[in-house]
Amino acid sequence: MRERGLQELDVCGLPPPEPFERIMHALASLPAESALQVRIHREPYPLYDVLRDNGYAWHTTPLADGSYSIRISRSA
Amino acid sequence: MKTVPLNTDQAPPISVPLRFFAVAPLFLILAALVLLSDSDNPFADPHMPALLAATHCITLGFMATVMVGAMQQILPVVIGSPMPASRLTARFVFLSLISGALLLPAGFALGQPLLLNFAWPLLLLAFLGFIVASLLSLARSPAHNATRTAILLSLLALGAAVVPGILLAYGYATGTLSPDAGRLAAAHVALMLGGWVLLLIVGVSYQVVPMFQLTPSYPKWLTVALAPALFAALLLNVLLLLFQPDAAWLSVVAQSLFWMLCGCFAVATLVLQGRRRRRVADATLSFFRLGMAALLCAALLAIALPLLPVVDHLETLLAILFLLGFAMSVMHGMLYKIVPFLVWFHLFRGGVKSGVPNMKEIIPEPWMWRHLWLHRATLLAALCAPWWGAAARLTALGFLLQGLLLAYALFAAISVYRRTLARLEQTQPNPIA
Repeated sequence: MRERGLQELDVCGLPPPEPFERIMHALASLPAESALQVRIHREPYPLYDVLRDNGYAWHTTPLADGSYSIRISRSA
Repeated sequence: MKTVPLNTDQAPPISVPLRFFAVAPLFLILAALVLLSDSDNPFADPHMPALLAATHCITLGFMATVMVGAMQQILPVVIGSPMPASRLTARFVFLSLISGALLLPAGFALGQPLLLNFAWPLLLLAFLGFIVASLLSLARSPAHNATRTAILLSLLALGAAVVPGILLAYGYATGTLSPDAGRLAAAHVALMLGGWVLLLIVGVSYQVVPMFQLTPSYPKWLTVALAPALFAALLLNVLLLLFQPDAAWLSVVAQSLFWMLCGCFAVATLVLQGRRRRRVADATLSFFRLGMAALLCAALLAIALPLLPVVDHLETLLAILFLLGFAMSVMHGMLYKIVPFLVWFHLFRGGVKSGVPNMKEIIPEPWMWRHLWLHRATLLAALCAPWWGAAARLTALGFLLQGLLLAYALFAAISVYRRTLARLEQTQPNPIA
């Protein structure tokens, strides 16, 4: 799928469940061919299950400062 | 930069951890009833059957049940790797652990060898199944962090602790306790509490304290070194216990080393909690801080013990500080954080939905505060109990009320989950699927 836009969301330092809530709200309003780039302070394993269940693909990259960058888009 | 693998298996259904948590308070009530059934003060003699039975209600029935249940959730969330065949594993471990945890204290309290003979094979199966499933989960984990190392070491300690535990239960059941039973019992207690309980709490704290309590992370050097150092000090202590060399000073040094490491963990955690970003009162945080303060007191007492004049019951005091003050406080705090999160997460996981309660509404916070005060009072009574019989009764009453209160809170959370799920299924399709 081609991505037309990239939205960014930084949830570093927020307590559970705020990072999860904010990501899900951002995804709910994400245009079909856009992607969401999330920066988060820990690897959110439970989020991956939810993304898969809801038809999203994701790509996680650990960053040098210990946080993670996750690019989320609709599955092809 | 490195790209991590993308696939994870499904997290376990909510029923997997919740069944363990829901049953655990029952064992606090049973511990209370066992203590109340004894006309003497059970705390005055650590070898009294009633104290042995009540202790196993708490350590096996309450603590091990909570820890085994929590592990089924922690492994997928923290290291990205659930237990294999999570439902089947949970059913098998649950049935054997709960049956064994009921039969073993009953065997001690009633003096019935037959019950002990049923208990030890069930407990052996439960822990064997749990350890194998957990080790497989660790082996498949994409994460290689300090929490994984601490969990691995705690499982090794559990495996090592089960062996003397089974030998002792078999010895009690068949009347064939060896003359070395005292040393075996000491090794069993050291490995269970200083290994399985402490190392699991240490490893989970590395994640839970910064995540839920909004503190800075533990220093990297501490997370890398602490759990292996604690494990090495514990092994040294256990070897000295079992083989008892002539040089008594060696045991004093080894024990001091272990307790200094415990003190380091408690101080590091208290310092981090003092630097938390959101300075609002939180019952779960207060449970955790009480636990760390008690661990620090236990460490100071243990280090001072060889220097103090011989006073009866100081070792019982140490055990109470560690078990009720440290381990039970931390477990209550974690339960009150994990259960609302689990309920919220499993309701929310299908997507954005209106009508999912806020996490703070799942277990009302005033109940957590009441439990905290009750737990503080129970701990205070237990610390006086070895010298004062009335305090032993108050301790038992405290366990009874704590069991009832915790059961009420957990069933309230389960009830919120069921009601909300039924309403969501009736009213809302999944909006982002």
